[in-house]
Amino acid sequence: MAHRWGMAIDLDRCTGCEACVVACHAENNIPISTPEQAATGRTTHWLRVDRYYEGDFPDVKVKYMPVLCQQCDEAPCEPVCPTYATYHNPEGLNVQVYNRCVGTFYCANNCPYTVRYFNWFDPVWPEPMQLQHNPDVAVRMAGVMEKCTFCIQRIKRGKDESAASGQELADGDIQPACVQGCPAEAMVFGDLNDPESKVSRMAESSRATRLLEELGTKPKVFYLERGR
Amino acid sequence: MASITWLLSEFRDKDSVIDAIRALRAAGVQPGDLDLFSEEPLELPRGVLDRPSHSSLVAVLGAAAFGIGGTAFVWYAQHTYEVITGGMPVFSFWGTGVITYELTMLGAVLSTFGYFLFESGLVFKHGRLKRDKDAPVPVVPPEKIWVRVRCEGGNTVRPTAALQEAGAVSIEAKTGAGL
Amino acid sequence: MPGRVKVTPPELLPYGKIREDLFRPLSGLTKKYFIAILLPLLVILFGAYAWSVQLRYGMGVTGLHRPVFWGFYIVDFVFWIGISHAGTLISAILRLTDAGWRKPITRAAEAITVFALMIGGLFPIIHLGRAWRFYWLMPYPNSRLLWPNFRSPLLWDLTAICAYVTGSVIFLYLPLIPDMAQLAEHNTPWRRKLYKALSLGWTGSDTEWHALERAMKLMAGIILAVAVSVHTIVAWDFAMAIAPMWHSTIFGPYFVVGAIFSGLAGLMIVMALIRKLMGLELYLTKHHFDNLAKLLLLMSVLWLYFTLAEHITAWYGNDPSEMVVFGARTRTRFAFLFWLMVFVNFVVPFVLLGIRKLRSITTGVIASFGILLGMFLERYIIVVPTLSNTRLPAASSMSYLPSWVEIAITCATFAGMVVLYLLFSKLFPIIAVWEFKPHVAEDEL
Repeated sequence: MAHRWGMAIDLDRCTGCEACVVACHAENNIPISTPEQAATGRTTHWLRVDRYYEGDFPDVKVKYMPVLCQQCDEAPCEPVCPTYATYHNPEGLNVQVYNRCVGTFYCANNCPYTVRYFNWFDPVWPEPMQLQHNPDVAVRMAGVMEKCTFCIQRIKRGKDESAASGQELADGDIQPACVQGCPAEAMVFGDLNDPESKVSRMAESSRATRLLEELGTKPKVFYLERGR
Repeated sequence: MASITWLLSEFRDKDSVIDAIRALRAAGVQPGDLDLFSEEPLELPRGVLDRPSHSSLVAVLGAAAFGIGGTAFVWYAQHTYEVITGGMPVFSFWGTGVITYELTMLGAVLSTFGYFLFESGLVFKHGRLKRDKDAPVPVVPPEKIWVRVRCEGGNTVRPTAALQEAGAVSIEAKTGAGL
Repeated sequence: MPGRVKVTPPELLPYGKIREDLFRPLSGLTKKYFIAILLPLLVILFGAYAWSVQLRYGMGVTGLHRPVFWGFYIVDFVFWIGISHAGTLISAILRLTDAGWRKPITRAAEAITVFALMIGGLFPIIHLGRAWRFYWLMPYPNSRLLWPNFRSPLLWDLTAICAYVTGSVIFLYLPLIPDMAQLAEHNTPWRRKLYKALSLGWTGSDTEWHALERAMKLMAGIILAVAVSVHTIVAWDFAMAIAPMWHSTIFGPYFVVGAIFSGLAGLMIVMALIRKLMGLELYLTKHHFDNLAKLLLLMSVLWLYFTLAEHITAWYGNDPSEMVVFGARTRTRFAFLFWLMVFVNFVVPFVLLGIRKLRSITTGVIASFGILLGMFLERYIIVVPTLSNTRLPAASSMSYLPSWVEIAITCATFAGMVVLYLLFSKLFPIIAVWEFKPHVAEDEL
């Protein structure tokens, strides 16, 4: 049976520490924005932590929400791409093929979650950070769109290793960088086709919800609401 | 090798041209042997010198051919390399419909233009236009209309009389080798 | 009407004079003409430099950022495709209804169509992140083993614009043939060669005239259908996205109306210019401008109606994400631009053109410039507020402002229009001579 990768994020556990963001940057060769770029809105974080504030100072509550590509089953970005740079892979992931992308921006405009990021310039890393590039992940040139892949390179490696060793993939064998890096264990990754996996069970939780579900995009990222 | 005589005659106004055409037809001249030359389009009443045309039919056929061909091409293209779309159709009626429409219109445009070039004989001479391709062409001054009559075997007496009667300003005959 | 404005129908002028008047602007090159071409050429050159900078360094040189991924280029695209609707609409509708007053303005309008399309068609390429790969949108067998995605509205754009360019070039070319045949008679050697080649050996026989008239009638119908579909598809680029205030069913007709509106305004300006610069006061009379002004008023009302319908449905729907965009447009960040747009698109035309005493060629041109500005703003107000107010509030961003690159390229396209038009009017009579001249005994039909 084919895998169907999904993620669950327990917002009750999320502390907003952004370790996931750092892990994602390191794993996926995401360029690090300068303050000037950030000021012009040109940051790139495949995974970002959105902050929502409640109440007035000094009585403020901050709520954190890690937002990454929701890997929609019916992704609005897919039908609008003229070159099939973004399409669905057999395991239900929204795949971004950098080589096919001509940069029409249409996918990003049609993404209700605004999780698509554009390479405004060729990427640069401050010395010596270019030395820690992950060889499994392509560095993207100026002019192409990119986004979270659920660490597809890790999924691939996990499946290869299981095929080589003859051992079935167990739940939790494959972990995207963000999940691995989360100290609060707020993020869980797994196979939604396996009813026993942790992510499937969390998706069944009464607290589980999906972002902008009403748009009919059928995301594969589940958010577990805060307990009240 | 019959010798052909061309009668070229100048007229001042459309009415006398209409009279001339009627007289020529009565004199046994076929519509295919008659040509008018003017610097502006001449609209003659129906039945005087009709030039039947298939341009509308050609436009419709061209449109249909492009529309169907284009749609078939899209279908082929979307099925030769099938992309997994996660439930969305690879070949969709709605999405392809727009392409079908545009290609239908493109087909109509191109076939109209192509048929214009063919029908007018500007690019490709065919039928009587090919037969008459070496015929003399009058240089028409503004506001004048010239009538050219093709007379086979030098049989010019009756047509000349018809032209004169209708009020031709001038008539000249040119003889050339025909088919 | 006739009692108030004294109309001298140019059809009554002697034919020799008409021909001379309309062919005269083609010959002779003055210093002014060179300057008029040279200045815009410099602007184009600078625009080309700006584009080269963008190609060299990336889209970062524009003012775009996340989430405003579409900006001036898309606004320009919609704007120019809109302008292109002048020709087809004026020329095709008036031709089909056989409105006599169209005769001196059809060619001027058709030429606008072709040039505006050429310019507008550049923007989908300019706005690409990797513009040098634009041909990947074309369906051809390739090493990627991939056909384009025909479900994408961008593919619709591509086919629609290709069909429209082909159609409008032919629509402009067909009625040029008889004029070029006349021009080939007496002219300088290279021009004679040019006109002879382009007129395909036109002799003026009734067979040719018949074919031409039939083709023009068919083309007028077809081009009308294409023109409406083209701007509908441009609108659908937006309407097919599930972005708030874009996902609207009336976007198709709304854009078509806006396109005709701006196209007519563009035509008004161009006509006033050629009238003045080429001394065609006898041919482009107040009568024509009067009729155009009335059409402008009609389109202004229609535009207002659609704008109202678009906004009132959003307001009553009260969808939270739409209301954010609605508020940005009408009350907060973009409110000034929005109300300025309403002012120049509706109030100004109605004061200047609706009040009889004020209606003149000058006020018509002023109103038209206002309308062009207003329609540019309209597209900006459609594109930017929606993008900068995302569905997830945390992803919304600061406002978008174009960079010098985008402004330079935009200016270059206006300069490009000037240059193309100047070249065209030097090579071809800007008024169709054969269509215009007195018809022999036409009324006896």
